[in-house]
Amino acid sequence: MKLAFHLAYKNLMGAGLRTWLNAGVLSFAFVVIIFYNALIDGWNQQAKIDGINWQYGYGHLVNDNYDAYDAFSIKDGHGELPESKQKNLTPILIQQGNLYPNGRMMSILIKGIDPNQGILLLPTQLLNDSKAEIPVIIGKRMSESAKVKTGDEFLLRWRDKNGTYDAATVTVAGVFETNVPFVDSRQIWMSIDKLRKLTLLHNKTTYFVANEQYKYESAPGWRFEDQEYLMREQTRLINAKKVGGSIFYVLLMTLSLLAIFDTQVLSIFRRQKEIGTYIALGMTRWQVVRIFTAEGAMYSVFATVLGAIYGIPLMWYLSITGISFGADGGEMGVIISETLYPVYGMGLIFGTILLVILSATIVSFLPARKIARMNPVEALKGKIS
Amino acid sequence: MSEKIITTEKLFKRYPVGDGEFTALNDINLTFDKGEFSGIIGPSGSGKTTLLNILGSLDSPTEGRATVLGHPISSLSHKEAAQLRNKHIGFIFQVYNLLPVYTVFENVEFALLLQNRSASERKKEVMQALEWVGLENMANKKPSKLSGGEGQRVAIARAMVKRPDLVLADEPTANLDAKNAHAILQTMKKLNEELNTTFIFATHDEKVMGYLNRLIHLEDGKVAKDEIVTAKTV
Ligand SMILES: Nc1ncnc2c1ncn2[C@@H]1O[C@H](COP(=O)(O)OP(=O)(O)O)[C@@H](O)[C@H]1O
Ligand SMILES: [Mg+2]
Repeated sequence: MKLAFHLAYKNLMGAGLRTWLNAGVLSFAFVVIIFYNALIDGWNQQAKIDGINWQYGYGHLVNDNYDAYDAFSIKDGHGELPESKQKNLTPILIQQGNLYPNGRMMSILIKGIDPNQGILLLPTQLLNDSKAEIPVIIGKRMSESAKVKTGDEFLLRWRDKNGTYDAATVTVAGVFETNVPFVDSRQIWMSIDKLRKLTLLHNKTTYFVANEQYKYESAPGWRFEDQEYLMREQTRLINAKKVGGSIFYVLLMTLSLLAIFDTQVLSIFRRQKEIGTYIALGMTRWQVVRIFTAEGAMYSVFATVLGAIYGIPLMWYLSITGISFGADGGEMGVIISETLYPVYGMGLIFGTILLVILSATIVSFLPARKIARMNPVEALKGKIS
Repeated sequence: MSEKIITTEKLFKRYPVGDGEFTALNDINLTFDKGEFSGIIGPSGSGKTTLLNILGSLDSPTEGRATVLGHPISSLSHKEAAQLRNKHIGFIFQVYNLLPVYTVFENVEFALLLQNRSASERKKEVMQALEWVGLENMANKKPSKLSGGEGQRVAIARAMVKRPDLVLADEPTANLDAKNAHAILQTMKKLNEELNTTFIFATHDEKVMGYLNRLIHLEDGKVAKDEIVTAKTV
């Protein structure tokens, strides 16, 4: 085997440009695979962290009547949890309302939260600090779509638990910036005590956000949704992106593997005399098959080296500066930051190297098998077509 | 008594051609002794190469037996045949068949690599073989930098480096001018005498015949004449 690689190395080096062309194309596929996946992994990690910090906490204890995907469940999707069971939980109450910023009307969600909470990054402390009658905080997307900023006042209308309309002026106490559109788009945050008072929903909660110390114990009328469950849509989307991207690099891989396959077929045809000579010198045909397979496999080794030469500095650089797509998850309903930082895992890198080496070896072996059926006499004459 | 290293009995080689068959070797019965310097001669198409390839275990007879160095050629496995060639048989071809990406040294070394010989041993043997053919100082050249005569000398060194019992040379002078042809023939004759290596040529070159001790005339796949001759001395 060592001999096969030694020969393969010599032959490839001897073949010059063609070798580097094949290895170059393969290395490109290789770098693209690693980079694309690293980017998605980076997005995934960032989205998880953002999601936990802004929205999920360590899980939600949700009222059974509430379904985040059903707007009609909001009105009655709340309940009362015994005080004794509220340890390590931050209550959130959601109700619908209409906003009248600058004479327009917008239907939004009003979310009530404990201003002293520390589990989410929402700057709820601003609600305490404000001297306004009803202070609210909003996200940047909301601020842009409603065209309101800190200090602005506008009219809010809502219905109390009996269905009676009421209205009041609310004041923007602060605008926060987040990658998580689910705590930003079309919603305002106020103190939960205020919201309960305005809606007459005393002690009612839509869901609780758990902190790290929270231990779930069953509570009738409530269900616990853990982080993984809460992230399921995001995970599904990221996986879909992975599959979508894989089409692109499967294509790239196919192209580069085709180039190797083609080179192999050609070189086996052109190097019949050499093959015959190897056999005359005392190699078995399978030993010659091994040489040619090793040659093809070695493209992947060269590709790895080549890919490392330009890929490592490039990928390192991008992992520091990140890549700005200017993407706003709000429109897509996903958590995505404007700048993505690729994350290169060992599994990803070694998995890709293995994949490239394996597939290059296979496409080299397939045409090389022909050598095993060659008649050495014909090969020496160069007569095999 | 001399030692027989090759016998062929009722050897036939037939090729399918169209609907019928073409008989390339027709009832060949020959023996070769150790140390012979003999030639299979005859016009192009008479079956010389076919016979040489069977003796070299690269090909097998359609019918009959060929026994080379005690091995029945037809019943060798691929692996056994490869072993036989690697250890005991050297080939020299009309077009040298040097491996272009290797240096002269590496070309000659190849057979020894297959034998898993140690690096120091390989070096010693390769340099010895290059000395035999007078190319000690070309060891690091690539074949493309060699003249035709030099190329064929490398091929001789490659065949001889493993000190085989048998060297099969198929038209070794066909691409050489007279001066180079005589030079390599003298080299081979000298090795034949010094190492007692058996040489069998396939040729229709008069220059070669002048060096041979035995001429086996092949005509249409049949042995027409098998004569012992007095050869030139080197
Ligand atoms: N694979 C083959 N199929 C059919 N005929 C062949 C084949 N190989 C050789 N021959 C024929 O066998 C005859 C002997 O060929 P060869 O041994 O090469 O002759 P020589 O070496 O004496 O010129 C030639 O007529 C050649 O055409
Ligand atoms: Mg011939």
